[in-house]
Amino acid sequence: MTVLSIENLSVTIRRPGRQVAALSGVSFAVRPGEVVGLVGESGGGKSMVARAVVGLLPGGSHATGRVRLGDSDVLRMDDAALAAHRGRGVAICFQNPRGALSPTRTIGKQLVDRLATHQDMSGDRAREAARELFETVGIRSAQRRLDAYAHELSGGMAQRVMISLATGCAPELLIADEPTTGLDVTLTREILRQFRHAADTDGRGVLLISHDLASIAEVCDRVVVLYAGTVVESGPAAQVLREPAHPYTRALLRSVPDVGGRPVVATPGAMPLLTQEPDNCPFVARCAHADRTCSTRRPPTAPVPGGGEWSLACFHPQTRPLDAGTPPPPAAEEKGAETGANPKPAVLEVEDAHVVYRSRFGSGGHHALRGVTLRLAPGETLGVVGESGCGKSTLAKLVMGLVAPTSGTVTVAGRALVGQPGRPRPRGRALRRARTRAQLVFQDPIGSLSPRRTVGDSIAEPLRAAGLSPAQREERVTAVLDRMELDRSILKRYPHELSGGQAQRVGIARALVGEPDLIVFDEPTSALDVTVQAQILDVIADVAADADRASVFISHDLATVRGFADRVVVLYLGRVVEEGPVDVVFDTPRHPYTRALLGSAPRLGPTTGSDGEAVELVKDLEEADAATGCPLAARCPFATGRCRTEQQELQSYGESRAACWRVPELPALIGRQAVTP
Amino acid sequence: MRILRFVVRRLLQLVPVLLGVVVLAFLLVRVLPGDPVRSILGQNATEEDAAAARARFGLDQSLWHQFLDYLGGLLTGDFGTSIQSGGSVGSEMALRVGPTLELVVISVTFALVVATVLGIWSAKRANRAGDHSIRIFALVGNSVPEFWLGLVLVLVGYSILGWFPAPNGRVDPDTGLTPLTGADLVDAVLTANGPATASAAAYLVLPVLTLVVGVVAPLLRSVRASALEVLHSESYAAAKAHGLRDRTLHHGYLLRATLVRLPSLAALVFGTAIGSTVLVEYVFSWQGFGQWALRGLLYRDYPVVQASVLVIALCYVLVFLIADVVHAILDPRVRL
Repeated sequence: MTVLSIENLSVTIRRPGRQVAALSGVSFAVRPGEVVGLVGESGGGKSMVARAVVGLLPGGSHATGRVRLGDSDVLRMDDAALAAHRGRGVAICFQNPRGALSPTRTIGKQLVDRLATHQDMSGDRAREAARELFETVGIRSAQRRLDAYAHELSGGMAQRVMISLATGCAPELLIADEPTTGLDVTLTREILRQFRHAADTDGRGVLLISHDLASIAEVCDRVVVLYAGTVVESGPAAQVLREPAHPYTRALLRSVPDVGGRPVVATPGAMPLLTQEPDNCPFVARCAHADRTCSTRRPPTAPVPGGGEWSLACFHPQTRPLDAGTPPPPAAEEKGAETGANPKPAVLEVEDAHVVYRSRFGSGGHHALRGVTLRLAPGETLGVVGESGCGKSTLAKLVMGLVAPTSGTVTVAGRALVGQPGRPRPRGRALRRARTRAQLVFQDPIGSLSPRRTVGDSIAEPLRAAGLSPAQREERVTAVLDRMELDRSILKRYPHELSGGQAQRVGIARALVGEPDLIVFDEPTSALDVTVQAQILDVIADVAADADRASVFISHDLATVRGFADRVVVLYLGRVVEEGPVDVVFDTPRHPYTRALLGSAPRLGPTTGSDGEAVELVKDLEEADAATGCPLAARCPFATGRCRTEQQELQSYGESRAACWRVPELPALIGRQAVTP
Repeated sequence: MRILRFVVRRLLQLVPVLLGVVVLAFLLVRVLPGDPVRSILGQNATEEDAAAARARFGLDQSLWHQFLDYLGGLLTGDFGTSIQSGGSVGSEMALRVGPTLELVVISVTFALVVATVLGIWSAKRANRAGDHSIRIFALVGNSVPEFWLGLVLVLVGYSILGWFPAPNGRVDPDTGLTPLTGADLVDAVLTANGPATASAAAYLVLPVLTLVVGVVAPLLRSVRASALEVLHSESYAAAKAHGLRDRTLHHGYLLRATLVRLPSLAALVFGTAIGSTVLVEYVFSWQGFGQWALRGLLYRDYPVVQASVLVIALCYVLVFLIADVVHAILDPRVRL
């Protein structure tokens, strides 16, 4: 019994002048109550599968094969049947929930529309059902939220509403297209749990589309790996994710950074764009095990002997464990010792900085940073982690001199970049020169390049501002291009012609070209595919290792920070709750918040017992209020009266420092929580 | 509540704006070459006659004095005396604002409805025959000069078909309409005068049609463009992928989202329509505000020009205020 069964589905898109084979012979099935993960890089055809299932293929596409839902074939439905099939049969949760919710209709009405269409409810009954649905997806004060508009919701809340809209159609199959892109670890976990819940309690089939293997690993029953429109491997999640046999799945997994500290291995190259169904293995160009057979014949999909439902399309299945053959992690100890031995003048000094965004009228405002103190020496790399809304980006802006501290001081390479209380306001040429000492690498690689300037212009811009001659500029630009492993021909191109990975290399080149003392990376990889992310992380690790430069690496993805940061700072609601050497903080977290973050971080492979002592936070970030006392008190399962009234200062616990007075008791407390949940 | 506060604040802002308009209109009309006194006296008048006439209208006084006199009059509701006719500008204007406003308001309202219906219809059939013909029709209507279109409509509607009354006024005088506001259709309805209502409506058809054809094109284009944008938006695709019925999609997800951007354009079009009435009123002998203001300008009738500029400015500001409020009601993202 299957909800969805796709048999030999091929989709070709014909447009004037070009043809793309988006899917070539894809087959898999989803059973009721089962969560199936569809993974692969972007361009692999994941969204095309989703579109084919709801019958919304783009114009000019030609589909063959079967997409069976129940006993009807979606590809052969007429308009009326399709309309009934959409929503009732299959409902999609879209990637960008805030964009997918109508901006001019209250979310309650949007849900009622779905209930009215598919479940024949009306009036008060539909509204009541809508409220209940909101509650089941974890929206608190649901009654009030019914009258909210999409723009009033946070990203996580919007995704919950989107899930409620999709389940409100009472579909047999729920499709989620990259549902957690842009969400931080704690929310990702929570949202993915909603899909597991939909499968377990309502017996729906769930098709979970994601490029991020690690995060969906926990909730999936089975995994289907797509590459260039073909299924390369599929099978039970535990097997495929732990001991993948296909070289592509292995490459994909090795690109994912892990909080456990396993080194990332980047896979060179990019996915080919096929114009017709391949007659060889599409991965052949990037595969280390490829031989002549691979480039002449397309491997058939065959079950793995003794693997049950496990099947793959490869002539050379791999059986070794994933980590074998990877080089040992570079000796980070050496570097740490060196920086400890001869203290140099700090590149970045932040002293008790507060940032308050005032509201436009009257008093009040948003207290984004509350007393942050940092010191960073040349050659050091600082990781900054926390949920969205914790003040990470404000910290980046503060360091760059893009916001002024309301109180406290910020010094970069001995100078102030912005007017600060009690110090002369930097101006004119001195300010411009001081600003060249710190550079920022942005989250959105293409959006942060001017669309009307060539790449060469963009990279050379900091040099022009510094007043270098054209010859000097050219020399420096070519030097930095070589370092970024970019081809010279890219200089004449425009940002829209670049891939995400290339654009981010250009962004890093632009930051690097003026040889600044400090580079701030603001979530530089969160908009990229996993394999590209691995390549960019390599580049960043290389840049961050420069001995005369300090780096700040901001990320909500803990695993990316672990790779190359020396020290890590955990921010929560504008306060530093824990800081210390990266391995110490990650291996022996002290603060309950750090424990919770690490506990939510996706993990591949077996979860070891030592990490079992994770902390579950009680509520979402947006409901927490940091008026007095410990900012985490509202969400912390161990909060006492003292926590709610007394402000917590950083105290030393071994090599790291944490702002929590209960740290010594925590292991015992966590043990108790595990026993009586 | 927030909207009310916004309206009050904007109405308070109206005071300095209108004051600025008063000063500018007062100065600019005097900078223009031409002498209002000469234009009423005729060719044989002597310098003494002219001086006497100037003294009669207070034009011999210093500029400051004239301005303060005028401003003092405005505060008491006195717009001054027309140099040309010798009558009170206030009462002359009262007779003429009504008919023109009636014409413009009906035309713009009608144009908005037509633009919304056709624009959305057109967007749903984008790049098909119906869509193209509507857009060509709108473009042609927009390109044809209004006075010519008016003449053609008179020729067809009155001379050939005889369906509509001659372009000789706003209502049949035989129906015995008692004027209240000056807007004849409104007056006829208010006084429950059946024949007058029918007659006023019949007289309105051709001038309204002329104006509508003139202004509908930009509105139509805007509605079509934003409807297309909504139809291609992710949120509409999501609603569609969840299998909502066409009716629900249309009313809940397309209409309001499409109309969000219309009010500000509609306010601009309203302003253009006021300007267009000058010629349309001439063609249909409407005896409205536009004709009156134009004659005042031609004869340098200072008080008339000043009063008409002030009224037009007031109209603009109020219409934009209404547009902003409507926009805020339509679009929940707008904060007033």
